[in-house]
Amino acid sequence: MSAPALALSGVRLVHNPGRSDEVVALHGLDLEVARGEFVTVVGSNGAGKSSMVSVVSGATRPTTGRVRIDGRDVTRLPAHRRAGSVARVFDDPRTGTAPELSIEDNLALAARRGRRRGLRRAVGPKQRAEFRERLAELGLGLEDRMQDPVGLLSAGQRQSVTMVMAGLVAPSVLLLDEHLAALDPATAARVLRLTCALAERTEAAVLMVTHNMQHAIDVGDRLMVMDRGRLVADVRGPRKEQLTVDAVVDLITTAGGVVADRSLLAGTEER
Amino acid sequence: MLTNIVLDSLVTGLPLAPLTLGVYVVFRIRQDFDLTVEGSFALGAAVAAVLLVAVVHPFLAVVAGALAGAAAGAVTAALHLGLGIPVLLAGLIMSIGLFSVTLHVLTGPTVGLAGAETIFTVLGVTGDAGQVLVLAALVAAVLGAFALFLRTELGLALRASGAAPAMVRSQGVGDAQIVTLSLCLANLLAALRGALLVQVQGFADVNLGIGMFVAAIGAVLLGTLAVRPSGSRVLRIVAAVVVGTLTYRLVLVAALRFGLPAADLKAITALTLVAAVAVQRYGAATLGRAEPALPAAVRQ
Ligand SMILES: Nc1ncnc2c1ncn2[C@@H]1O[C@H](COP(=O)(O)OP(=O)(O)OP(=O)(O)O)[C@@H](O)[C@H]1O
Ligand SMILES: [Mg+2]
Repeated sequence: MSAPALALSGVRLVHNPGRSDEVVALHGLDLEVARGEFVTVVGSNGAGKSSMVSVVSGATRPTTGRVRIDGRDVTRLPAHRRAGSVARVFDDPRTGTAPELSIEDNLALAARRGRRRGLRRAVGPKQRAEFRERLAELGLGLEDRMQDPVGLLSAGQRQSVTMVMAGLVAPSVLLLDEHLAALDPATAARVLRLTCALAERTEAAVLMVTHNMQHAIDVGDRLMVMDRGRLVADVRGPRKEQLTVDAVVDLITTAGGVVADRSLLAGTEER
Repeated sequence: MLTNIVLDSLVTGLPLAPLTLGVYVVFRIRQDFDLTVEGSFALGAAVAAVLLVAVVHPFLAVVAGALAGAAAGAVTAALHLGLGIPVLLAGLIMSIGLFSVTLHVLTGPTVGLAGAETIFTVLGVTGDAGQVLVLAALVAAVLGAFALFLRTELGLALRASGAAPAMVRSQGVGDAQIVTLSLCLANLLAALRGALLVQVQGFADVNLGIGMFVAAIGAVLLGTLAVRPSGSRVLRIVAAVVVGTLTYRLVLVAALRFGLPAADLKAITALTLVAAVAVQRYGAATLGRAEPALPAAVRQ
């Protein structure tokens, strides 16, 4: 069997070690996500979801433990050196795009994610045609506004452009950290559909962090619950399909106490 | 009188454009300050002057002067990246250190060309008008090349890096690469301006760079105000540099022509800066211009 797209082993992350404000954000996390597998991640505030995402992206280096992508140990590589295999969509739509640059230029920047950048023209007729096609798929009319600065777009439009950007170079791992949080329900639903389409097309291993339980249940093959830096539930397959919002909320609220839902946790053993 | 003022501004202003462009790269695009440019400016002038006196081909002398500036920029980048010194402070250190380097290059405070060949004499150009034409052509070539560069993959990454650092990193562009690129470019352009100036004025002086940073910031502010450049409008960036440089020069030349004593020029510079920032800030509502005049790093 080939190596999983993403593997964390014994990942521990301590902020401000040795200081009075020391925080253990991740307690020896073990996790494998296969190629094409879509994992939704839930958990209360401060559970360590974003910490896990940024350890995978390379924005933070774990205190101990290993991060492997496609079997390659990337623990020591900074974010920009793993960008070729990791695409990340930020929670704030403003972070994922360069506001002053045109839609076209933002796409061109993403079209060479993780590749060498040289003195070739960034946007030629060929790229422009491809960008136009991809933007048209969004159905937002953005293909006719390619010269507009991204800063003029609404949050939903920007996040849609970010989804297109993430897919221009197929990633091995797609990281989505509350990427629907700033969107109204209808727009969130639309961008979520884009997300699923993108996941399917690129066959990336997806980690999608969300506080929307319905989203966490509706999409993906696998649901993980985090609490205080630990993975407290990992539900997949038929078990996941039977989950209800109440059940997930229960999982989160009882997590960390002794009463972690045994039956659901047991679900992780079957496979 | 008016035509004289305009001509004067062109003659003295045009060669300034590369410096303005260099400062634009760091100040507007990278949203940072690099004071190295003052040192590089004098260094570029010094290297060119010494080579001209040693009868090196004038164009080679210009290129060598510019490369000396790029090297200075690389050292600033190394200080910033290696020791974690903020670019502002690293540049300040460099501008002081380069003063001594330039003194050594010149082996004295000034070097006169004393009839050595210049880019003008090798081209057989004499007189003010001819010099302006040559300078204009050179500056146009530099600005044109830079505009083309900004449109490349690397130039695009540079344009995005100041305002969206996290995004640029997540797209696989390392900070170190961009910081080094921007500082080398800025100082290459500053030194190029020095190397050109030497040919016009016939001597290099260790103090040439003093005040040049503020002057260039003034030009950038005026250009930004007039042309409103933005990240993806590359031609506007170049236009802003030219318009800003010439307007700034026009203000100073006009002030002199209208009988202001030379001693008051610094005050005019300061007032111009204040006026540019004020218009940008308080004119925003009335003119519908939302862009801030100063980089995010310096606004509270
Ligand atoms: N840079 C930092 N310095 C110190 N502590 C940090 C830092 N970043 C995160 N933490 C701490 O690490 C813990 C995990 O934070 P994290 O952001 O991963 O939580 P989260 O699950 O994403 O929460 P939320 O749902 O609120 O986004 C928290 O206790 C947080 O205070
Ligand atoms: Mg978070």
